[in-house]
Amino acid sequence: MNNLSEKDVKHVADLARIYIKEEEIPKYMVNLQSLLNEVDKIKDIKGYDDEMLITPVNHETIPRKDEMKETLTFQEVSYLAPKVSGNYIEVPVMIHE
Amino acid sequence: MNNYLDLSILEIHNLLKEKKIKPLDLVMEAFERIEEKKELNVFITLCKEEAIKKAKELEEKDVDNILFGIPVAIKDNISTKDIRTTCASKMLENYIPLYNATVIDKINEKNMIIIGKTNMDEFAMGSTSRTSYFGPPLNAVDKTRIAGGSSGGSASAVAAHLIPISLGSDTGGSIRQPASYNGIVGMKPTYGSISRYGLVAFASSLDQIGPMSRNVYENALFLNTLIGKDEKDLTTTDRVEDFTRYIGEDIKGMKIGVPEYFMKEDVNPEIKNHVEKIISMLKEHGATVEYITIDYIENAVTLYQIIAMGEASSNLARFDGIRYGYASGDREDLDMFYKKTRAEGFGEEVKRRIMVGSYLLSGENAEIYYNKALSIRDDIKKSFEKAFANYDLIIGPTTTTTAYKLTDDLDNPIKAFLDDILVIPVNMAGLPGMSIPIGKDETNLPIGLHIIGNFFEEAIMYKLAAFIETELKKIGEGK
Repeated sequence: MNNLSEKDVKHVADLARIYIKEEEIPKYMVNLQSLLNEVDKIKDIKGYDDEMLITPVNHETIPRKDEMKETLTFQEVSYLAPKVSGNYIEVPVMIHE
Repeated sequence: MNNYLDLSILEIHNLLKEKKIKPLDLVMEAFERIEEKKELNVFITLCKEEAIKKAKELEEKDVDNILFGIPVAIKDNISTKDIRTTCASKMLENYIPLYNATVIDKINEKNMIIIGKTNMDEFAMGSTSRTSYFGPPLNAVDKTRIAGGSSGGSASAVAAHLIPISLGSDTGGSIRQPASYNGIVGMKPTYGSISRYGLVAFASSLDQIGPMSRNVYENALFLNTLIGKDEKDLTTTDRVEDFTRYIGEDIKGMKIGVPEYFMKEDVNPEIKNHVEKIISMLKEHGATVEYITIDYIENAVTLYQIIAMGEASSNLARFDGIRYGYASGDREDLDMFYKKTRAEGFGEEVKRRIMVGSYLLSGENAEIYYNKALSIRDDIKKSFEKAFANYDLIIGPTTTTTAYKLTDDLDNPIKAFLDDILVIPVNMAGLPGMSIPIGKDETNLPIGLHIIGNFFEEAIMYKLAAFIETELKKIGEGK
C-alpha cells in the first residue's frame, strides 16, 4: 500500500460516515496506514484454492415463514429515538431549499 | 459475609435444594462482593433491584435444575430486556433493549439470576478491554494488569469470585484470551451452536457467545443450557447434548496434535514450558501427542483483520443517531449529522476499524481483500479438517504472554490483533476452542492451555480439559 495522503484519509472517513477534524488527520494517517500495511500482507499469500468460506456452517439454512405477528407499538419503541414528534421519529433536514 | 459463592455450583445447588440457603442469600453476597471489589470495574450496569425481586420470587418455586438460583453476569453486548446494554460505548450509553437475546431467555427459563452487565472492549473490539467507554476492568489476579478482552469483565468477575459463572462472546479469541489471563475456563463453541440473536453484531461470520466459569464441569453444564436451534438465527444447529457426559473418563488412546506454529519462538518460554509439561503428562497417561502443521494458520490474523473489520463496518452502519443511541446535537444537515453522531459516539479503536473496513469493502477492494480472505479462510478450514481426520483434539498455549501492564502498548493499533494470534485461527474455521488454566508464571500470573476440537465435539474437549484439571489439582497446580 502506498502511503496514505490527507485526501485518502478524508475519503476513507467519508466512506465510513465519520467526521474527522483537520487536526486529527495526521493521527489517522499513521494509524490507518499501519492497519492497511497489515491487511496488505494478504497480497503475498499464494497457492490457495478459489472456493470461499462465507459462513462456517454446513447445514441448509431455511428462512422462517413470513408470517404476520403482533409487533411492538410505536409508543414502545419511540422512547429509544433521540427525537420524536407526535407519531414520527424526527430526522434532520435532508433537502435544503 | 457468607462464603457461599466460593462453593461449587453443585454444592450451592445442594444447599438450595435442602433449603439451607435461599437464592436471596447468594444475590446479597454477590452484591457485597462486588461492592468490596468495585475497583475491579468489571460491571457497567448492576441489576440489584431486579435480582433481589427475582430471588424472592424463586423462594416460591421448586429447585428444579442445577442452575436454579445461580447468579450470572452477562457481557454487555448481549441484549437484556429493560436492562441497559451499552456495548461499553458512548453510542449506546443509555440504550435499554426492548427484547432479550435468545440466551437470556434460556437463562431465565433455568431461573438463573442476572446480577449485572460486564465491562468489555467497546463493541468487543480489542484484546484488553481498555477500549471501554467506562474505563478498563482490571485483572482479578493482579490489578495493575489488563483483564484481557474483549470479555475482560466477564472473565475477571468469575476469577474474583464475584459470581460463579458468566457469559462472554468470542469473535477472535475474546472468551479464551481473557479466560487465560484471569485463570478461568472459557469456551467458544462451534459456530452455530448458540443463537446470536440479541448479540450486538461485530463480525457476523465469526461471533459466537460462550460460557466462562471457574472449572470445566460448570462450563459444560452451562453450555448444555445455551445451545440449540433458534428460528431467529439461521446459522444455529439443532442440538441437544450433555457436554458433561465424558468428564471423568480416561484419555488413554486419545490422539492429540500440536501445531508447530503454536509453539514458535515468540511464545514466552515459561508458557511453552507449561504446555510441554502438559504434553508429557498426557503422554504418560497413554495419549499420543504429535507436532503437526496447519496450512495458512500463520495468515489467520491478516484474514481476521480483513473479515472482522469489513463485517464490522457493515454491521455498525446501523448506528446513525436516528432511531436509537447517541445523537449529535448538530442537526443542520443529515449527512453531517450522521458523521458527527458517529465521530462523537464511537471511540478511537472502533472508528479506526470502521474506516479501514469501509475501505476494504469499497469498489474493487472487496475482491482484492475480502473475497481473497474468504478463499484462504476456506483453506484454513480444510486444513483443520484434514488434521482432525487423524487427531481427536489440537492443543497449544492460549496466549503468547501472560497478562501485561495496563499502561503497556497503549498506542499500538496492531497490538490488539497480535495478542490473539493463537486463538484467531479457530474463529476462521468456525471450530470450538477453549482455554483452561494450567499454572502460573514466576510472577504468579495465570497461563492458559488452548484446546481445539473438531466441529461439534465440545464434549471430547471437556473430557480432556477435566482430565488435565484433575491431574493438576493432584499436584497442586492449575489454579
